[in-house]
Amino acid sequence: MSTNIEELNPGLKDLGTYEYGWADSDAAGSSAKRGLNEDVVRDISERKSEPAWMLEQRVKALKLFDKKPMPTWGSDLTDIDFQNIKYFVRSTEKQATTWDELPDDIKNTYDRLGIPEAEKQRLIAGVAAQYESEVVYHQIREDLEEKGVLFLDTDTALREHEDLFREYFGSVIPSGDNKFAALNTSVWSGGSFVYVPPGVHVDIPLQAYFRINTENMGQFERTLIIADEGSSVHYVEGCTAPIYQTDSLHSAVVEIIVKKNARVRYTTIQNWSNNVYNLVTKRATCAEGATMEWIDGNIGSKVTMKYPAVFLLGEHSKGETLSVAFAGEGQHQDAGSKMVHAAPNTSSTIVSKSVARGGGRTSYRGLVQVLEGAKNSRSSVVCDALLVDQISRSDTYPYNDIREDDVQMAHEATVSKVSEDQLFYLMSRGMSETEAMAMIVRGFVEPIARELPMEYALELNRLIELQMEGAVG
Amino acid sequence: MTLLTDKPRDHVDPQSTVGAAPEESRAARLTSFEVSDFPVPNGREEEWRFTPVDRLGGVFADEGDDDREGDYAADYDVSGVMDVIAQTALAPGQAPRGTVLVPGDRGAVVASKHTTEALHLKLEAEKEYAEPLRVNVHGNGAGRLSSAHYVVEAGHHSKALLILDHTGSADHRGNLEVIVGDGAELTVVSLQRWDDDAVHLGQHDAQVGRDATYKHIAVSLGGSIVRVNANVNYQGPGGDATLLGVYFADAGQHLEHRSFVDHNEPHTNSLVTYKGALQGDGAHTVWVGDVLIRKEAEGIDTYELNRNLVLTDGARADSVPNLEIETGEIAGAGHASSTGRFDDEQLFYLMSRGIDETNARRLVVRGFFADIIAKIGVPEVVDTLMAAIEEELAADMGASA
Repeated sequence: MSTNIEELNPGLKDLGTYEYGWADSDAAGSSAKRGLNEDVVRDISERKSEPAWMLEQRVKALKLFDKKPMPTWGSDLTDIDFQNIKYFVRSTEKQATTWDELPDDIKNTYDRLGIPEAEKQRLIAGVAAQYESEVVYHQIREDLEEKGVLFLDTDTALREHEDLFREYFGSVIPSGDNKFAALNTSVWSGGSFVYVPPGVHVDIPLQAYFRINTENMGQFERTLIIADEGSSVHYVEGCTAPIYQTDSLHSAVVEIIVKKNARVRYTTIQNWSNNVYNLVTKRATCAEGATMEWIDGNIGSKVTMKYPAVFLLGEHSKGETLSVAFAGEGQHQDAGSKMVHAAPNTSSTIVSKSVARGGGRTSYRGLVQVLEGAKNSRSSVVCDALLVDQISRSDTYPYNDIREDDVQMAHEATVSKVSEDQLFYLMSRGMSETEAMAMIVRGFVEPIARELPMEYALELNRLIELQMEGAVG
Repeated sequence: MTLLTDKPRDHVDPQSTVGAAPEESRAARLTSFEVSDFPVPNGREEEWRFTPVDRLGGVFADEGDDDREGDYAADYDVSGVMDVIAQTALAPGQAPRGTVLVPGDRGAVVASKHTTEALHLKLEAEKEYAEPLRVNVHGNGAGRLSSAHYVVEAGHHSKALLILDHTGSADHRGNLEVIVGDGAELTVVSLQRWDDDAVHLGQHDAQVGRDATYKHIAVSLGGSIVRVNANVNYQGPGGDATLLGVYFADAGQHLEHRSFVDHNEPHTNSLVTYKGALQGDGAHTVWVGDVLIRKEAEGIDTYELNRNLVLTDGARADSVPNLEIETGEIAGAGHASSTGRFDDEQLFYLMSRGIDETNARRLVVRGFFADIIAKIGVPEVVDTLMAAIEEELAADMGASA
């Protein structure tokens, strides 16, 4: 029997390194300006020919950004040099609707990431591909368009549906929410805008793919999803970037409005290269009977601070977060979730799984808040962490704030190491230690992997193998 | 078989850079004997964010005790210590005072500064103390500042029980410094049975020796605001620490318990269990349990548990368990926290068996506390506690009837 994982998976021997680390030629990026001031913000707005109210918002947000302190909790962010970052890089003049219209470099990149292939096979209902600051490719299935589903890049949405846009922009995450939300509001560009009309069900996922190519790039996409009454939609995003010597910044804001009895599922598999600071604010509001699900995979990046939130504003609404994080060498995944119960009979569930290896650090940081009046709310939080070696680190910081008596709230966390018994058992069945380890880790995250769309579950499994390469030997 | 193969190569810890970086771990939090290092809290500090500091006022004052001619702010009655080999007073800085406890907040630093003579109890090695050692603290008036510092040194392989009982009323700040010698077995009970207008801030720090066993039991029933922080670290492998707490908060009462277990030595165990009930408008309880497992501390087994039972409207329970683990070589680590109300099904079940509602509710509450009461294992404390719970419940039933 073969005991070598490489013999079983011929492709695996190439996987020792980050697979998406190539960089394209970079004419647009190298000429882009660095640094942040009001002129930069005005310039972005002008190049997008935005209405005056948007520019005003941006300038106001910049002032808030200057005023807000850096967070003194979570990860160490002292190395971020805001003046060395490129805030706006336009990679192509025209948004494409077929892949062939794109410059070769960009098209090749997405080919290598496998996006057009997935679209061809109709695994997804629509695609948006963002390269640097703007969405370069956009397509949605015709039948959905006929039903009135909007799936646009956020810049186009502002141009073509200004009223709808203005009603919801910043309504879930005000620009002063935190320092990075303020930064995003002042320099945002790109992102997706989704509107699902009442009663329409988008049965296969809409997909967005974010790629940073330029060194010291700051990507600040802004995503706005509105699911009208009784509708449902599943939105999936993936992210990669090349490996550079110096750091890039990704600071998105995602706002989701889930109306009465609607349902939104938002899946992220974040696989930024290990020189990207990933500081993202994601939040959803749920009206009566609505359901919001976050499925959050954090595999790449140098530092991630991300706590998808659900504000349960309507009775019988429901929030759910499934979160999985891997931290390898030099990585800190500070992830978690936030559930705010503001109405009676609401329920929330958080399941978090994390694996740390090679000196990496995973932190679960969460908040469950039950406000006065949120009678008969229920919340359950379960965090499991797996440590693969002695030099890695795992922390758990849950906060529970309960202001109502009629509530059931439970939090539970366990941290364990890979059991030698399990390893021994698998190895006695002829597996190599690497294989056995990868299998144990896959089993550990399985409850989350099975919630992912098929191709993402496969991707996750492959990433686990990749992450576990060199973990033993 | 070893699991460690990839050494930390040239990995630069992102936490090692200076600036506005977050503290690397719970152990990095400031401790100091300088009062100026701890300004009077305004409630926005992480350490004080749950505490109603505006109601604390006087207790933070950098002033000595409010003792008057023949009328001390608090009376101390020490008994059961005939066999103690030393019962002396230690000035600030006089070892072993200050070797284990370094103040970690404003309350502890003013307590330390203004206790000129700390009670020093030194327990003889290899001796089993049959009778509990007692320190009864009785406050003589609301709002009167009193400070205390006790140093308990349990000789190696000694076995003893210390009961610290607080009654009356005062603005009290008390530090307890415990050194548990190798192989010793020491239980410390801190009873907070204050009158309704008392304020009490306490820092109880212990260092647990090699193969020693330490149990700290906090029972908080009375007082307007009570905040007791129980902290533990270890002096050698094999140490075992159990931190237990029981609290029952009434209307307007703030009962806060914080603990920090620093697993700085390998093969040490800890078990933290706090359980509380809340009834009445504005009853507020806080539990913050921090556990740190350091890199060098392999083979640790730790579990933290907090359960809160909310009996009426308008009460609030905050529960924050924090776990920091810097090594993968652990035996087991976990924590759990839950807050819930009366389980109607349990009540229904009992009532369907012919038990009237008052008694059914009483049974549910007693059942809720049963396991922690079994863990306490000090009959005298258990009796006091059960009587107090019965009394609280009777008051509740009377009000609702």
